[in-house]
Amino acid sequence: MAGSNPQRERILARVRAATADNVPTTAPAASKAPIFAEIPDPLERFLRECAANLTEVICTRDSMESAAACDRVLQSLPPGELFFQDTPVFRSWASHVDSARTVRWSSGGPPSESTQATFTLAHGFVAQTGSILSSSLCGGRGASIVAPCHVVFGTTEQVVADIDAALQIANHDLLSASYVGLISGSSRTADIEKILVQGAHGPLRVVVILQAAS
Amino acid sequence: MSTIPLQEFLRRATEKCADLTHRATIQRNIDSYDVAVAKGKQRFSDWEAARSRCSEIKAEAIAHLDRYLEQFEGKVKERGGHVFWAETAEDARQYIAGLAQSRGVKTIVKSKSMVTEEIHLSGALEKQGAAVWETDLGEYIVQLRNEPPYHIVTPAMHLTRVQIAQTFREKIPSEMNGEEPPQLVAAARRKLRKAFFSAEMGISGANFLVADAGMVAISTNEGNGRLTTTLPRIHVAITGIEKIIPRLSDLATLWPVLATAGTGQPITTYSTLIGGPRQPGETDGPEEFHVVLLDNGRSQVLASREHREMLKCIRCGACLNVCPVYRQIGGHAYGTTYQGPIGSVLTPNLKPSAGFEHLAFASSLCSACGSACPVRINLPHQLLLNRRDAMAKTGQSGSRTMFRLFRWTAMSSVRFRVMGWLSRKGISTAKALGIAGSKLDPMRPWTQYRNGPEVPTQTFREWWRTHGRQ
Amino acid sequence: MPKTVSLFVPCFVDQLQPQVAIDTVKVLRRIGYTVHFPEDQTCCGQPAFNSGFWDEARPCAERFLKIFGASDVIVCPSGSCTSMVKSHYPELLKDTPSYNDAVTLGQRVYELSQFLIRVAQISDVGSWFPHSVTYHASCHATRELGIHDEPLTLLKNVRGLELRSLPHEEDCCGFGGTFSTKFGMISAAMGDTKAGNIEATKAEYVTSIDPSCLIHLAGIIGHTRRSSKPIHLASILAQEAQ
Ligand code: SF4
Repeated sequence: MAGSNPQRERILARVRAATADNVPTTAPAASKAPIFAEIPDPLERFLRECAANLTEVICTRDSMESAAACDRVLQSLPPGELFFQDTPVFRSWASHVDSARTVRWSSGGPPSESTQATFTLAHGFVAQTGSILSSSLCGGRGASIVAPCHVVFGTTEQVVADIDAALQIANHDLLSASYVGLISGSSRTADIEKILVQGAHGPLRVVVILQAAS
Repeated sequence: MSTIPLQEFLRRATEKCADLTHRATIQRNIDSYDVAVAKGKQRFSDWEAARSRCSEIKAEAIAHLDRYLEQFEGKVKERGGHVFWAETAEDARQYIAGLAQSRGVKTIVKSKSMVTEEIHLSGALEKQGAAVWETDLGEYIVQLRNEPPYHIVTPAMHLTRVQIAQTFREKIPSEMNGEEPPQLVAAARRKLRKAFFSAEMGISGANFLVADAGMVAISTNEGNGRLTTTLPRIHVAITGIEKIIPRLSDLATLWPVLATAGTGQPITTYSTLIGGPRQPGETDGPEEFHVVLLDNGRSQVLASREHREMLKCIRCGACLNVCPVYRQIGGHAYGTTYQGPIGSVLTPNLKPSAGFEHLAFASSLCSACGSACPVRINLPHQLLLNRRDAMAKTGQSGSRTMFRLFRWTAMSSVRFRVMGWLSRKGISTAKALGIAGSKLDPMRPWTQYRNGPEVPTQTFREWWRTHGRQ
Repeated sequence: MPKTVSLFVPCFVDQLQPQVAIDTVKVLRRIGYTVHFPEDQTCCGQPAFNSGFWDEARPCAERFLKIFGASDVIVCPSGSCTSMVKSHYPELLKDTPSYNDAVTLGQRVYELSQFLIRVAQISDVGSWFPHSVTYHASCHATRELGIHDEPLTLLKNVRGLELRSLPHEEDCCGFGGTFSTKFGMISAAMGDTKAGNIEATKAEYVTSIDPSCLIHLAGIIGHTRRSSKPIHLASILAQEAQ
């Protein structure tokens, strides 16, 4: 499949010839008019947007409360396998898991078809749209999409104002990853009569455990 | 030139225009779209500035397309991905079909991609024995019905839940346990989940190709795009060369604008960037990642200064939704991959000898599309240019003679008065004879659907002669 | 200072809807303007231009520029024809010696309601029309000329008039020039949708600033046996208070 692709040169040559007239394009700097209103209180906005896009957010004050929140989420889950991103915080939380459940760790491979819930960290949280900034470094690609429930743990320090700020994080830290994404709510579709149905192919439920900055 | 597309267009359009159920279904859909978009725009402090910004980003990308494509390619290769440049639909099909064959692929999952429709990819893959699953719910529904997508964003917009339930009962009865939308969605989910976990190849489109990051951006709400690009061993992303954007940071504007114009959402649920196959140390992801960059007529459109702007299109579907012609005739009447105003504008330029010139004329030039387009493509102007080009190309001797006569008439007020008198006599005579609207009426193209105008006894200029000077 | 305007009467208005132009003259005179009608005018060339015959349209445009070249202000009771001159002449005459004339003349052409509100700065022309009326926002006026509030402001100041808002008021009526005959079934379906919306307001009259929309709507309304009466804005404004 690699090797020569003579069409590449032909296409590029045609593109170069076509754009040789160099019709000036307005530089992006020309329109710097603000497009979005300022976000004075990112945390407040994040919570509001999550409420609108159906992400559950549990705010906690410290690691004890977070662990307790995690327990409550665990108890609400149907029986079956769980998947955790392999990090110290989840290693400690997973010790509470009912021994009847199979637990998988990202270090041992991706979640399986029957995994009931996945637990991962995130790179940031976007106030503007109530989004989670995730990547393949957060337990892999499947970790945020294959199970019916996705639980994310993070702190309020990770809340950034807007998509632009999230993309800056991606630009600095995540360009080596094979996947980067913003996840804004649960999987959904409106393909039937424009009626919103939650839980299409991805998680029906997205939970963020958001711990106050220490 | 072939007249078949025109005849087919007229036949289907006539059928749909008389179908009041269709009209009501579409109107209901568009009404909820309108409400959502109006609300969505309020999230912007300046929607018009956002449109300008997007237009500039895309214009810049297109002006330096070669540079940005090469930059994109370099970054993808650094992460171990492959980039294939395809000049034609055939080249792209061959590459992907060859890949599937050489890797022993039996099952393929696809997330929504209009470019794969453009190159008729699924048929080619099925011909060599692969099972191809559309995984976007709307796409899956029309695939089950053996229909092409009705709309570039909402492929099953023309169907009611009752019709969809009917289709599911016939095609996937074992998954069914109810006929309400949530149960229909669940049925499709169950069926497609098996496909996702058994597929060896995932094929996706791309909403954007990000040059500086070397990543393809894919937006889906259902998460099918995520699964398609995650679970199978091979991921192929195919898209047009014009989808390039210069910078990752451009998505801070383009993502919300695309979502708002497309569905009224603040952002699509899964706004995803894929930059390569599974990297060393990563848990999962495809072993192979291929990007197919399709030309298929695009560089030819680029060569036209006048038409170039149509390559800014981000396929949001807004121009279809606001188009009163689209709402009457629906997406299937066009007989093209891309429907609605952008399809009428693009198709004759991407496929100059395919006989789609009539589409530019099938418009009242109401400009609704131009006002809606989030990247400010002047669609009504493009329609006018296409009309001009079509007439220059085909000659259309009948029309040309008519407009020569028109010019001859308009170039003298004496001739104008005489011809005006004759026309008015014609209308009133047809009325007097009682043939108005009948096959004998020379005004029939008008009077078939409408009453003829009342003919006044006096023209304005006659009135002016007596009342002009006060 | 003498207040004079030149009247640009679209060809089909001259021939088929003279009352629209007559009423325009009445309104302009009532507010103190002298109306000048260059009798040599014929058609602006829009039918040829919109049909793709730019070479046939161009001489019409050049002729128009000559006839109206000396006019300071040109008023036209049609948004679509105004827009042809204002928005499309520069494109049509690009790379010709007339280009500059087209641009400068374009700045002196106004659709009637636009002229009354923006130039004459009159929002009440002293008319009386004791009927219910709904307003159809025509395409070129709305989206090419940016006319939104002007006609509504004028209508709100008509004594006795009850203005009813039209659902989807900015949707096209389906006329579209030669489109209406080339693709009659689509045009008529659009017209039928529009006429249905008009009917839903139960207004006695439907008004617009585009006479071509009104001819089309009259044809559709008559054909589908509906009852609203199309009337041009100028004809409402021309009704004198008693
Ligand atoms: S032409 Fe504009 S409105 Fe139409 S699909 Fe493309 S971007 Fe959207």
